[in-house]
Amino acid sequence: MLNDTVNSLDLHRAKDITLLEVLDKALNKGVIISGDLIISVADVDLLYVGIRVLLSSIETMESLQGRHIPKRQFK
Amino acid sequence: MGKIETNSPEMFIEEMERINSPLPERINTGPENIEAGLGKLVLTLIELIRTLMERQAMRRMEKGSLSDIEIERIGETLMKLENKVQELKELLGIKDEELNLNLGPLGNLM
Amino acid sequence: MSIYIYGIIDSNDRIDESIKGLNGIPVSYIPYKDISLVISSFNGDIQDITKIKVLEHEDVLDRLMEKFTVLPFRFRTLYNREEDVVSMLKDFYNDFSEDLGRLRNKAEFDIKVIWSGDKIIEEITSDYDRDRDISAGDESRGKLFMEQAYNKYKIDREFEERANICITVIDNFFSRFASEKKLEKLKSKNLLLDAFYLVDKERQGDFKEAFDSLKASSSDLQYLFSGPWPPYNFVRIEYGKD
Repeated sequence: MLNDTVNSLDLHRAKDITLLEVLDKALNKGVIISGDLIISVADVDLLYVGIRVLLSSIETMESLQGRHIPKRQFK
Repeated sequence: MGKIETNSPEMFIEEMERINSPLPERINTGPENIEAGLGKLVLTLIELIRTLMERQAMRRMEKGSLSDIEIERIGETLMKLENKVQELKELLGIKDEELNLNLGPLGNLM
Repeated sequence: MSIYIYGIIDSNDRIDESIKGLNGIPVSYIPYKDISLVISSFNGDIQDITKIKVLEHEDVLDRLMEKFTVLPFRFRTLYNREEDVVSMLKDFYNDFSEDLGRLRNKAEFDIKVIWSGDKIIEEITSDYDRDRDISAGDESRGKLFMEQAYNKYKIDREFEERANICITVIDNFFSRFASEKKLEKLKSKNLLLDAFYLVDKERQGDFKEAFDSLKASSSDLQYLFSGPWPPYNFVRIEYGKD
């Protein structure tokens, strides 16, 4: 009985840590192709945006206001 | 997937959640948010510059290449900058973690 | 209808059609010369691809890794049009080929180490506090600020130096078995090290034994050892036309 409880706890935690480990890699690393960032009117996806985009995004925000631009190249 | 071995799953879960969670995933730049969004950007940049200035000052303290007058002046400046950033944070309702910048492979600013 | 990208493999043969990807949709392949892009069709918003779906993404790559060299794409890479996907494949073919060659027969392993960072900072801080000159009390604000900042700076530096020593010791267990490595130091006060090693198939046994030796040699560190993974950390950071 006690063993069952311990095992089910372990399984739950094992899933948590697996998810965290995989996210750690797949969310932040792996291949990205420049120009892939998708920007819609109100959302800037900051997951992998670095400082160069931050600096250019003031002008970007102004040009995006009211318009839907599906893709944008960042140099 | 079963390819993880650890002697302390709880500790790693805690640390990884701590590292991954504080950054907001999105800046909302709709028209009603645009001021706050811009404010946050500007503040982040000021904080970046302040941090770089402070680090540089510390390196020079270490080398002993600052005169007493310079120490006094730089100290006053850094102190005022720090207070100003704090003021603006409170004014705009921005939390400390929100000014953290992800510098890609260089890690986080703070 | 969008196209979800898992990664690139080093084959253009008719490949296993039974691998299921996101939402249970079978993966398919877009071949070009001697490589293929691994994709599946996706209906919906990118926001519907929640974090837990990363496990489905990884499952696909794990299956592919059994037979091929894999360049993993970042999670949540979606394209709207097939023409864009195909031209991406052609545009970056040389880069992909190069990376596939470099990564053939190798897998990524990850070692995370937790140490008692908090305790060590306390130790260092009390050492410094003990040695500090008691200030005269009539110091100007600017000078006081700088002294406090400098004190904190010295503590941080000492802390980093101790971390570097510890990290070097740990890394020495592994680096001779790896063709490439990437060390992320002090991601937090307690997460001393997140180390990624690219290890050839033939050295993976030795590599695992090295981990056993490390475990045996230290009792006050916590470890997390994981792998083999597709080489997320050893593909180029970003493929782009510069």
